[in-house]
Amino acid sequence: MEYILHLFILICFYTLLSQSLNLSAGFTGLISLAHAGFYGIGAYTTAILSTQFGFSFWLGIPLAMLISGAIAFIVSLIALRTVEDYFIICTLGIQVILFSIMNNWMDLTRGPLGIPGIPSISLFGLNLDSKVSFLLLSLFFVAIVWFVLRNISKSGFGKILTAISEDEIYSQSIGKNVYLSKTVSFTLSAMFAAIPGTLYAHYISYIDPTSFTVTESIFVLSIVIIGGLGNLTGSFLAAVFLVLLPEALRFVGMPDSIAANMRQIIYGLILVVVMMTGKNGVKEFFTSKVKRTE
Amino acid sequence: MQLLLNILVTSSLFLSIGLSFSLIYYPTKFFHIAHAAVISLGAYLVFFFANKFSVPFSVSVGLAIAAAVGIGLLCEILVYRQMRKRNLPALAYLIVSIGLYVVLQNCISLFFGDDTKIINTAEVTVGNQIFGAYITTIQIITVFVSITLFLAVNLFLHFTTTGKSIRAVASNPELCTIYGISSNKVILIAFAIGSALAATAGILSAMDTNMTPTFGFNLLLYGIVAMIIGGVGSTRGLIAGALLVASTQHLAAYYIDTKWMDAVTYIILILFLIWKPLGFSGKRLKKVEV
Repeated sequence: MEYILHLFILICFYTLLSQSLNLSAGFTGLISLAHAGFYGIGAYTTAILSTQFGFSFWLGIPLAMLISGAIAFIVSLIALRTVEDYFIICTLGIQVILFSIMNNWMDLTRGPLGIPGIPSISLFGLNLDSKVSFLLLSLFFVAIVWFVLRNISKSGFGKILTAISEDEIYSQSIGKNVYLSKTVSFTLSAMFAAIPGTLYAHYISYIDPTSFTVTESIFVLSIVIIGGLGNLTGSFLAAVFLVLLPEALRFVGMPDSIAANMRQIIYGLILVVVMMTGKNGVKEFFTSKVKRTE
Repeated sequence: MQLLLNILVTSSLFLSIGLSFSLIYYPTKFFHIAHAAVISLGAYLVFFFANKFSVPFSVSVGLAIAAAVGIGLLCEILVYRQMRKRNLPALAYLIVSIGLYVVLQNCISLFFGDDTKIINTAEVTVGNQIFGAYITTIQIITVFVSITLFLAVNLFLHFTTTGKSIRAVASNPELCTIYGISSNKVILIAFAIGSALAATAGILSAMDTNMTPTFGFNLLLYGIVAMIIGGVGSTRGLIAGALLVASTQHLAAYYIDTKWMDAVTYIILILFLIWKPLGFSGKRLKKVEV
């Protein structure tokens, strides 16, 4: 039971991560490979603040969002000068830089040793250290972020973002500020990524840089693409699928050592097949196929 | 002096990786990230043939390169060619190639394990002494092979019909089709040569140090950085790019700390993207098409 709750909590984390990436990658067309970096910034901010300065989670979360947002803003000033492929390579570079800061700045992050002893979250004097209460808290955040992102996508600003992802030059020609909208979208996306970061740090109570690697970024991006760009429900379903996939493999009787690699092979293959056929997400892949046979 | 020699060795390695990558990039115009797996695969297959089956070393190198070329060609025929038929945006190719990389890299991990492997061919020696600095035999071979291959590829691109058609497809694929040059065939040739070069570079690098299933990815990223810094489409720029990346890395390792090598490389890349987005050669990067 504890383990099932743990899986549900992981699903919440990846839903938050993939939906926040969907804001920049899906709605705006800014495919970023630096998302695990911002996730890590969230985790490290709250870890350092709570272990060294005794800050509570509730103060840590807005601060983590602010710091992650500020860094994303600076990064976007640089990265948004490039387009398409070069943007992805640029964000990949930023991901490597963020990782090597987490891994090497011993004084601040304790490098590969990681930060242990992050306190659990307390709410109105209650300690949320049971899995059930933590799951409820995570669900609460998923609900808020989902609601906010849905409203952003339906707002006028969201329409501008969609227009940019479809035709950047046309959007500019009808007087939309493309550069500003992209910056805002990228920064917001990184701020939302800090939320699962802080939750993760307080949940596991120990963080080290290996949770925030390029591989993690690729994994989150795969969730977004498998779920469909600009499709928040799709991101959630894809997160459920990819988190439960290794469990399913274990259920079939595959040993753990192989299951980890098999999971990556399977999501890599889905990514290739879905993108190869030019479909947006698995849903469209199947629905359009059905239409063709009719 | 030791520093200079190290820079020479590293930059020649980056040069051949950058060259192998840009050979594919010129005619196809997308980042073939799965190339990283081809680099690793070459090295792992040499390990597989030479250490497990005790196939003679030169034969296993040949087999490994052939297999790597096979994988490169399979990627092109089974995946990218199908995508070109559908006229997909450039970004889709990059994402697909990341997916392919994830698949291939994990296949390597499945077969060989994630631990560090060494292709041991000879006893560890201090190396040869040149001007008071040490260089191992394999490093001399790396420099020699890289420079030879670089010259050979350049001659090939400029003085043979096939090479010229690669450059023709790179500059204007539509016009090439009108003139009866099959762009599919040309791209296939580029994939074959590129994959062979990548596997060679991977083998050399793995013999010099050691290997993990992901080592190709780091190498490839340095190659890409060298290519972008050098200016896409310029082979002379590539030399400058490789030299710059290798020397910043070694200087950073010497004066700051080895652990910051990666970060410094990408800071250089980002500085270039801000102030000199066209690279050394000044050729334009691809922009959004109107």
